[in-house]
Amino acid sequence: MKVYLDYQAAKPVDTRVVDAMVPYFNDKFANPASLHKPGDNATEILQDSRKIIADFINAPQPSSIVFTSGATESNNLALIGAALKNERKGNHIIISEIEHISIRNISKYLERNGFKVSRIPVDQYGMVKLEKLKHLITDETILISISTASNEVGTLQPIKEISDIALDHQILFHTDALASESVIPIDVQKTPIDLITLSSNDIYGPKGVGALYLKKGVRVNPIIIGGGQEKGMRSGSENISGIVGFSKAAEIMKNEMEDEAQYLERLRDRLIKGVLESIPNSYLNGHPTKRLPNNAHFRFDYIEGESLILSLKDQNIAAATGSACSSKTLEPSHTLIAMGLLHEEAHGSLLFSLGRYTKENEIEKTLEVLPDIVKRLRLLSPLTSQELLNYYKEIEKTNYGG
Amino acid sequence: MKSTQYSEKVLDHFRNPRNVGTIENADGYGKVGNPVCGDIMEMFLQIGKNEHGEDIIEDIKFRTFGCGSAVATSSMTTEMAKGLTLDEAYKISRNDVADELEGLPPIKMHCSNLAADALKAAIDNYREGANPEVEAVSSCKITDIEDIKGLEDFLGKGVYEEVQDLNEFKEKRVLIIDRGDKSLELALKLTKYTGRVVVLTSAKNTPGSEEIKQQLKRSDVKILYESELFEVQGTNEIEKVKIHDHDHDHDEDEEYELYVDAVII
Repeated sequence: MKVYLDYQAAKPVDTRVVDAMVPYFNDKFANPASLHKPGDNATEILQDSRKIIADFINAPQPSSIVFTSGATESNNLALIGAALKNERKGNHIIISEIEHISIRNISKYLERNGFKVSRIPVDQYGMVKLEKLKHLITDETILISISTASNEVGTLQPIKEISDIALDHQILFHTDALASESVIPIDVQKTPIDLITLSSNDIYGPKGVGALYLKKGVRVNPIIIGGGQEKGMRSGSENISGIVGFSKAAEIMKNEMEDEAQYLERLRDRLIKGVLESIPNSYLNGHPTKRLPNNAHFRFDYIEGESLILSLKDQNIAAATGSACSSKTLEPSHTLIAMGLLHEEAHGSLLFSLGRYTKENEIEKTLEVLPDIVKRLRLLSPLTSQELLNYYKEIEKTNYGG
Repeated sequence: MKSTQYSEKVLDHFRNPRNVGTIENADGYGKVGNPVCGDIMEMFLQIGKNEHGEDIIEDIKFRTFGCGSAVATSSMTTEMAKGLTLDEAYKISRNDVADELEGLPPIKMHCSNLAADALKAAIDNYREGANPEVEAVSSCKITDIEDIKGLEDFLGKGVYEEVQDLNEFKEKRVLIIDRGDKSLELALKLTKYTGRVVVLTSAKNTPGSEEIKQQLKRSDVKILYESELFEVQGTNEIEKVKIHDHDHDHDEDEEYELYVDAVII
């Protein structure tokens, strides 16, 4: 039996989405810029798709959606585009200490190009400190960018409060909604966010397509220049098949999100309870309640995450870790460090992210094998405390003696 | 190449590591690595004699905290070293170990391939006749408060000299400097108010009186041993501290940052 609990890294495309996309590869292949009939049809489907994505976040004007090649491009357009557009007003941008690597690296790029970037610290659960945000705002601040939720530890950010603060100070507010897109609805009429990054794959659509929402009246400079598609905001012939898939995924998601999120929350709670009960010295990272319904992020004392992943792999279980050993840079997760964890604690982290096709028996299988995997690695580790070794010995005795 | 793209041989040694464990009263003991970079290895040697009267490695055991390649290189090193004379074993290099394992991902060549170094450290330990049961005791001392950079600036802004109301620490990440039982009792009490209480001590083992020691071991208090606080940073309020960790390879000290909301001195 195969277990896939890494939906945060990649999601399968819903077969209903694939079916909707198929005609747009060969039968309906035309370019919406063409003046002939097939071109008109392409224009029409592009407009329909734009309306569906706008509806997905309850945006009144379809024109507020700009299609892009995915979340990374949307983040680039939002941050670099807004920075360049507002250069004369100020040069200060605020992000959080735990942003996704794309936001962090775009910010570094802006820093190298004369902008100042402040990073709001987070509390032990990975939630941004609103008080700090107020302190960091200056007359020069032009943009605040905070993700709706941590893609790693799953903590939900106080987006409404941040958007109110931004509005009060007349500062643009951008949020990368990627981590929460499939489980928490966004309503821009209730929460007046200026810029929102959306990704297709994160709602079970194809990879390579995404969108940036721009509130009416919000302007950014384009970063991809060419034929002036997307009202000049994003040049390049439209990826019609991808956009059709994205909008189909959004339509399904809007209908099914509520039930799906409840279902995932139940499985997640079963996983969290099971792990914490069956494994000594195990902890839940992130907020105990204000967290993504599909995220369970743990850490285990005395062991290292890559070893965990390899051991789980041998059992056909796919998960992720914030351990340095599994990253390209060999640096531990910046999110866990910003939450106040020590390096060796960050090394022992394990992320399970659930999704549409997660079955109860995948959770049960994981709960069945994880305690022994953790125990084996602890018996190998020089860091394991004598108390814990004694505990394991006791358990063994009871099992054999019982 | 992905950092986890391992050869079958590496995976085999990771799945079924050879010579895991410790040797009581070992003749030689070596330890390398540190938890900050994510790998720690310990080697235990039992020395015997061959027919020529030379010292040989009669038995060897290891324990490792680290990624797949850290476990595999430790296991392979013990397998290669067993039965060799000390001179032969001393010549085993990191590259030899990697070659025996049919290669390692380039990024893992350095950090997770320290087992040969641990073996050398254990042999040195035996040859120099140092007591194998004792690791080098660090010479760290309790820092004078005046020596902590930035501390005074944050008094009342996250740095506490004394504590009146424990409610102030609700849900906060608190770092407490070990100043004897009183500070440790406070740490224990605070666990009822917040899930994150860290005690920083210069001691090598769990500090405090016997009773407090036991309580600490049962509690969620995180203890940083052989450590020293040397800087406090933040804007307006405290955000993070810088810590010196003396618990490392004899002469190499480690510095790292820890994010906190409050420091009690």
